[in-house]
Amino acid sequence: MALVHLCYRCPECGHDPMSGEGDAAWCESCGVRIERRGGRLLISFSDNNIQFDINASDLYVKIHEHGGPMTRATRADGTVRYTARAEVSWRISEQPVWYRGVLRGFVETMGPAAPGTITVDRDTVSVEDGRAGSGRWRHLEVRAVQAASRSLQLSLPGDKLVQLRFLGDSPRRWEILMRRLITDAYERAGRGRVVEFQPRITTG
Amino acid sequence: MTGGWYPFFRVTLKWVGLALTRARVSGVAHIPRKGPFFLVANHESILDPFLVQGNCPRTTHFFAKSTQFTANAVFGWFLPRVAAIPARRYRVDPQSVRTALRALERGDGVGIYLEGERSWDGALQPFRRGSIRLILGTGVPVVPCCVSGSYDAWPRWTRSRRRAPVHVRYGEPLHFGVHDTRAAREAALDGCAERLAQALRDLRVEPPPRPWPTGGGA
Repeated sequence: MALVHLCYRCPECGHDPMSGEGDAAWCESCGVRIERRGGRLLISFSDNNIQFDINASDLYVKIHEHGGPMTRATRADGTVRYTARAEVSWRISEQPVWYRGVLRGFVETMGPAAPGTITVDRDTVSVEDGRAGSGRWRHLEVRAVQAASRSLQLSLPGDKLVQLRFLGDSPRRWEILMRRLITDAYERAGRGRVVEFQPRITTG
Repeated sequence: MTGGWYPFFRVTLKWVGLALTRARVSGVAHIPRKGPFFLVANHESILDPFLVQGNCPRTTHFFAKSTQFTANAVFGWFLPRVAAIPARRYRVDPQSVRTALRALERGDGVGIYLEGERSWDGALQPFRRGSIRLILGTGVPVVPCCVSGSYDAWPRWTRSRRRAPVHVRYGEPLHFGVHDTRAAREAALDGCAERLAQALRDLRVEPPPRPWPTGGGA
């Protein structure tokens, strides 16, 4: 992963996406540059070379103030549509974990990854990789959403689990985007406020 | 149940963690000398298990995401030997809870990263409600542990570790009592979560303030 996965849009001007590589991210619009040096996160602006220490949590706040992932996902006519390419893998089984004759739990085994896409609109999410698991689901049908390291995992009806490793997009962006769309869908349907997205979407 | 590997690997984790971070550790005396307990910690970095579990002198079974067990053969072999409990995060996982309850019945500790995952930005995330219910249902003491600075040393979005001041502080055990009905657990859930969050905040070693620069850095 890279800093640009955390800082997927400019915290200063809101330009989306940020450019970046490794421990540095920069805005092609306003020239802000953010980089990690030593154990510090530093920001500099285009009008001078002074670097300021910042907190990563403030990046999140600033990005959120600019609309987070929703601005880019929202079209001029107000509709929502956003797509990304990803390596898609589906759970094929669950295996027990035994140690010294005692069952400690279960782990999932993911099948081979294949190139595919994930697309969201205001009401649905679709995953397409040309295989049998592909499909479209309403946000209200999604069972759980979580980021797992570099991937996004969606728990879907029919006991399906799909894992998406994004090719050129931020798993953080997608985690926030999915959660936002699901939250909105629950509120529109009058099903309450979502308080948790894993291990199961629950309302409070 | 963890066999002879646990003491060896626990000490190995400790020294690897200290070598990687030069962390300053305090409050280990707050961990109960006997009897079951929960050890709950914030989760900022992949370094945290080395520091939190490695410096805990008691056998502690930590919940770990199930994908870790299948990440590679080494992890699959290693994690049960450090008493890790695989937890499927994409569904309610009763088996992981059963394993934790058995560990408590034997008088061991159970470790939980209450946020359920590493923080993206270093800030404390909302706690998993199922973890809070587990704590409330058992009534055993809860030792809070806050790791400060591990995010600066190695946040989740990078592969490179850097030198940064890291502190590991264990706090005094908290007691919530046994809430043996679902209604009682639900009623106490928010208060328990807030008390635990406050305990972690109180243990945190805060970095110097870093206000967001204004006016384009002028």
